[in-house]
Amino acid sequence: MAQLAETYACVPSTERGRGILISGDPKSNSILYTNGRSVIIRYLDRPLEVRVYGEHAYPATVARYSPNGEWIASADVSGTVRIWGTHNDFVLKKEFRVLTGRIDDLQWSPDGERIVASGEGKGKSLVRAVMWDSGTNVGEFDGHSKRVLSCAFKPTRPFRIVTCGEDFLVNFYEGPPFKFKLSHRDHSNFVNCIRFSPDGKKFITVSSDKKGIIYDAKTGDIIGELSPEDGHKGSIYAISWSPDSKQVLTVSADKSAKIWEISEDNKGTVKKTLACPGSGGVDDMLVGCLWQNDHIVTISLGGTIYLYSASDLAKAPLPLSGHMKNINSLAVLKGDPKVILSSSYDGLLVKWVQGIGYYGKLERKVVSQIKCFAAVEEEIVSSGFDNKVWRVSLKGDQCGDGDCIDIGNQPKDLSIALLSPDLALVSIETGVILLRGAKVVSTINLGFPVTACTIAPKGNEAIVGGQDGKLHVYSITGDTLNEEAVLEKHRGAITAIRYSPDVSMFASADSNREAVVWDCATREVKLKNMLYHTARINCLAWSPDSSTVATGSLDTCVIVYEVDKPASSRVTIKGAHLGGVYGLAFTDEQNVVSSGEDACIRVWKLTPQ
Amino acid sequence: MANAASGMAVHDDCKLKFMELKAKRTHRFIVYKIEEKQKEVIVEKLGEPIETYEDFTSSLPAEECRYAVFDFDFVTEENVQKSRIFFIAWSPDTAKVRSKMIYASSKDRFKRELDGIQVELQATDPTEMGLDVFKSRVNL
Repeated sequence: MAQLAETYACVPSTERGRGILISGDPKSNSILYTNGRSVIIRYLDRPLEVRVYGEHAYPATVARYSPNGEWIASADVSGTVRIWGTHNDFVLKKEFRVLTGRIDDLQWSPDGERIVASGEGKGKSLVRAVMWDSGTNVGEFDGHSKRVLSCAFKPTRPFRIVTCGEDFLVNFYEGPPFKFKLSHRDHSNFVNCIRFSPDGKKFITVSSDKKGIIYDAKTGDIIGELSPEDGHKGSIYAISWSPDSKQVLTVSADKSAKIWEISEDNKGTVKKTLACPGSGGVDDMLVGCLWQNDHIVTISLGGTIYLYSASDLAKAPLPLSGHMKNINSLAVLKGDPKVILSSSYDGLLVKWVQGIGYYGKLERKVVSQIKCFAAVEEEIVSSGFDNKVWRVSLKGDQCGDGDCIDIGNQPKDLSIALLSPDLALVSIETGVILLRGAKVVSTINLGFPVTACTIAPKGNEAIVGGQDGKLHVYSITGDTLNEEAVLEKHRGAITAIRYSPDVSMFASADSNREAVVWDCATREVKLKNMLYHTARINCLAWSPDSSTVATGSLDTCVIVYEVDKPASSRVTIKGAHLGGVYGLAFTDEQNVVSSGEDACIRVWKLTPQ
Repeated sequence: MANAASGMAVHDDCKLKFMELKAKRTHRFIVYKIEEKQKEVIVEKLGEPIETYEDFTSSLPAEECRYAVFDFDFVTEENVQKSRIFFIAWSPDTAKVRSKMIYASSKDRFKRELDGIQVELQATDPTEMGLDVFKSRVNL
């Protein structure tokens, strides 16, 4: 049996030039955000416990807890809103199509009866308010001509809804049934976020014109603004009120977050500026924020979540980060089995520590996209889409200066001889390239389209798999490869080949859902009928004692087989990663780490049956 | 009796052995083979009642089609001992196309000859015939 031990969650997906809206539940101390098609619930006091809701068919944009904390309403780019329960396995309550285009913001009414959603669509449907259980309309929302970026519901009676958007307008509606009351055009750029104070007396809008304006909540008239002195120097993307309605937090593209004190005469003055503790690149622009109980959360464009304590603003924030995109490669450092390295195709390399979670990002001197990588001891070899292979030394958390080798062709697969890490084998479309150190030692044209390759830990043998499913075993003498045998069993292009740690066996997997374990010396099939996947197998991993082998596939499952037992006695982990499992590794005999398209990494504990 | 679709006759022995399995429980499984030369379905192998599922899977060739009948014993949730008679159309991916076609076209008529089959299963590789698949199909 396999149990989920830890999840290293993905971070919210961000977009340059736009803010993101995150929300939370003060009672359970959790925050909600979206990445791809998943909605992620993270507990601020337990960062390793993450719950993921993956039922949306389209990329999800925003999610909110209902005021009583029992339901979550989440919306996606197709304009659909799904309401599901927080407990009870996320049972779906209702799903309806609210807008015809993407939904940018969603709010519950304070009594939990109505939901207002805003976004973009064709013609009139840019904002709609509906009853939560029946979906019937509760108002007419005209007055906007362009995408409505944010909306808010007044938390006290009499109910009001305010919306703001790309047409620089701030609209005020009274109801229910909601009707247009008045509109303000005081901003000179996109109005990004609008929020009511928790006591229901005021609301603030913030905009890309670097201003913030304060209005009276009941009448909608302007009563003040955030003072421009010491104000933001870039677009303000999001705003959040403190629970006592006296302070607000704003985040901006100038890479800082500011806390403003709202005085009695409705002027906002800066109380504290929190600069983003990063290296100062574009990735540090802050795009989202939330003030919940004692926690202040800010999110940067690079996806890093910074957790500050509201009562102790001088304390350094806790950074939580992860991947934003498909994690295509995983490696467990041999020397220290508890350290896991992961890479995603956007060029991000992250270091994780089992039991603690996010440890740090590996700063690379050159940020290029990574296709796959292999790590051994204190060195990482990665191959990218730009025909280059990088050999970088790993010193603590920094990548040293690497050597870059241009191999002239798109690398398909990469393997390092673990016992002599100088030697690396890279497979390309027409053959393989042998690398020693940072030099191309030989380019061997094999005559058949190569899909996967691996090199033995001692560097004396290599196995190359082709498009036709044949496995070619080569012995390496000096700088040349001599073909020893051709093994035919697979009925699809080979996708992964791996030697077992004790080098007595090797396992191969193909795109026709089959995996086979072979004996190295006799080159005979040791374990077959590993056909339990329903889609192509993407990755393979051996346990350190060579007794178990795990396969991960596009069908989101990870199947663990024991080499001594028949293939039918297997342990299946279903739904490991929404979208497919792309990386697999064992940290020790009992723990398997998997990563996938949903940008999360999960550690599973295997208990013997 | 000739089979209308493909012209295969069914040897009387097939039906007799099946009746024995059903009534007297003298066999655990029966494996049938189509003899192309005689244009007949004949009994290829009989399994003793003590033989198990593993013996059954090993008597099915990995590269050729067969028909099989298996008497599957299990215990339900209420601790009741029950059994189901499974008809398995074994048609592995690696078999010849001609073989698959002949077996597929004769299957229906052949099945009708065997009165009392409770569950039918088609397997194209060993995983589709696994014990877990049997267990999941027992509830009609």
